[in-house]
Amino acid sequence: MNDEIDGAAIEVQSLRKVYAGGVEAVRGIDFTVSRGEVFGLLGPNGAGKSTTIGILTTTVRPTGGAARVAGHDVVREPLAARAASSVVFQDQVLDLTLTGRRNVEIHSRLWNVGGAARIDELSATLGISDIIDRPVAIYSGGQRRRLEIARALVSDPQVLFLDEPTVGLDPRIRHELIDVIAGLRSTGMTILLTTHYLDEAERLCDRVAIMHEGEIVALDTPPALLASLGHEVVELRVRGDGSHALSMLRGRGIADDAAFVVGGTVTLPMRNGDAPEVVAAIRGMSLDITALATRQPSLDDVYLRLTGNTFAGAA
Amino acid sequence: MTTMTAIRPLPVRTRSAAPRPAAFNALRTLAARRFALSVRTPRELVVPLLTPVLFALVIAPALRDALGATHGGVDYMSFVALATVGLLIPLNTQFAGLSVIVDRLSGAQRELLAAPVRRALLVLGNLVVVVAITAVQLAVLVVLAAIRGATFDITAAGLAWFVGAVLLFTIGMYGIAEAMASRIGRQEEFISATPAVAIVPWFFAGSLFPISVLPGFLDVFAKFLPLTHALAVVRYGLMGARASGLTNIWGMSNPTAMAALSLGVVAVFAVLGVTLAVRTFSKAAVH
Repeated sequence: MNDEIDGAAIEVQSLRKVYAGGVEAVRGIDFTVSRGEVFGLLGPNGAGKSTTIGILTTTVRPTGGAARVAGHDVVREPLAARAASSVVFQDQVLDLTLTGRRNVEIHSRLWNVGGAARIDELSATLGISDIIDRPVAIYSGGQRRRLEIARALVSDPQVLFLDEPTVGLDPRIRHELIDVIAGLRSTGMTILLTTHYLDEAERLCDRVAIMHEGEIVALDTPPALLASLGHEVVELRVRGDGSHALSMLRGRGIADDAAFVVGGTVTLPMRNGDAPEVVAAIRGMSLDITALATRQPSLDDVYLRLTGNTFAGAA
Repeated sequence: MTTMTAIRPLPVRTRSAAPRPAAFNALRTLAARRFALSVRTPRELVVPLLTPVLFALVIAPALRDALGATHGGVDYMSFVALATVGLLIPLNTQFAGLSVIVDRLSGAQRELLAAPVRRALLVLGNLVVVVAITAVQLAVLVVLAAIRGATFDITAAGLAWFVGAVLLFTIGMYGIAEAMASRIGRQEEFISATPAVAIVPWFFAGSLFPISVLPGFLDVFAKFLPLTHALAVVRYGLMGARASGLTNIWGMSNPTAMAALSLGVVAVFAVLGVTLAVRTFSKAAVH
């Protein structure tokens, strides 16, 4: 098959969603995902990621703007949009009393694709062939997740939505699944991934959009987002709230407007300054410091600077 | 436990035009899923049958012995045995509605909502299974009642009236149950609402006695209950015009015309029920 999709795989223009009661979950966001691109949506709960995925999978009706999946408008052509896509939901979505094979068969029949050979092929690749004919109720969490990925892939979707696919899994299974998703990159499938784990986004995504309070506050490739913080960051921890320390650092001209504080941790991106000089200057101040270090910037830093939040708190 | 030590390249391909399944194929798949889930849950098959069977096999003969075998030329045991149809169908459809809540709470419904099929088919797929299961249960009920001593006058025409009434009433009642399931968030709330929908009307619908013996205002109320009309047609089909109670409803002299009118009422109820179910489900499915 491997037919071409004309144009973008996902197009989102001025998308808005206001729920009953006036809660504005998505506030006029725009982005485009090219065919074969792996696109990450990052942000805490309440940022609007799930609402955005809900609109793209046609379970949430947008209040304004437009969205297209594989060229199909999700409001005017919902059936075509759904036919071109599959979803792996954040929560496990399986009929537990049915076998794994039956779960995948139901999907393949509803999408009017596949067959027994295709199910065998995917279950073998995902390491669940020896349990595929057993009730899902006996599967471990990781096995259920792999079954859901097999189910999503059996219809050969143009666009695959992965909504926090590794949340709640133990670290070993999580890393196995990241490998599975990484394997999808080479297939040319378009993937929209939401995650709380920034290492996942950094490893898997071609581009990342960071959402905060319904808006996209940054959208770029992971290297470009990291570059916005310079080549290094200085991180200091103080007793109590770090806001006072940050004010003092700014007052001394050590911290610029890129610096941010989370609890008792103050992070100073070295966009212009020299890290050893900054560390020396900090040591000379009368701050109640419990730790002081330099390190490479990460996507966590980008996220925290833009949202003033923590993933741990948001999870 | 399976471990995954090495990930082979995923055999994935993408395609530009995913053909959507024909409505019939989608309906068949959805019904097969619901059936597979239902037969794995004996509760849904057996529990709704228990009370009606108890009525047909124990209470109906006891009432006959206590009150007399015939009243106005009508065999009372058969009269009560058929009344249990009006208990079985609402209970059965309510239990089926419960499975919709289970689908939603377990998350399984989300996968179905993401499928490229019209959402009305999700309701109709459930309905097909409810009708099939109810048919089996009704057959069991009628046969057991006959074995216990109930007498039915079974003709092709009578059977057609019976089947028409129970089919349409089942459709209407399932529509109510599905609409309730779409509106009610928790199983406990749904179960607590079940008696009001499935049992209370039974006491006013001429189940154990003709509606003519009810106080005047309740007599009028009973005539508005779809169950009153369904039971009248059911009895007309299997016991004849005298036992049906159709005259108490319509006050006419032509039993066939009255049966057709009552069947029409049940048909309207079925259409309204399914329409309500599809609309409520579709509205609840999209936020």
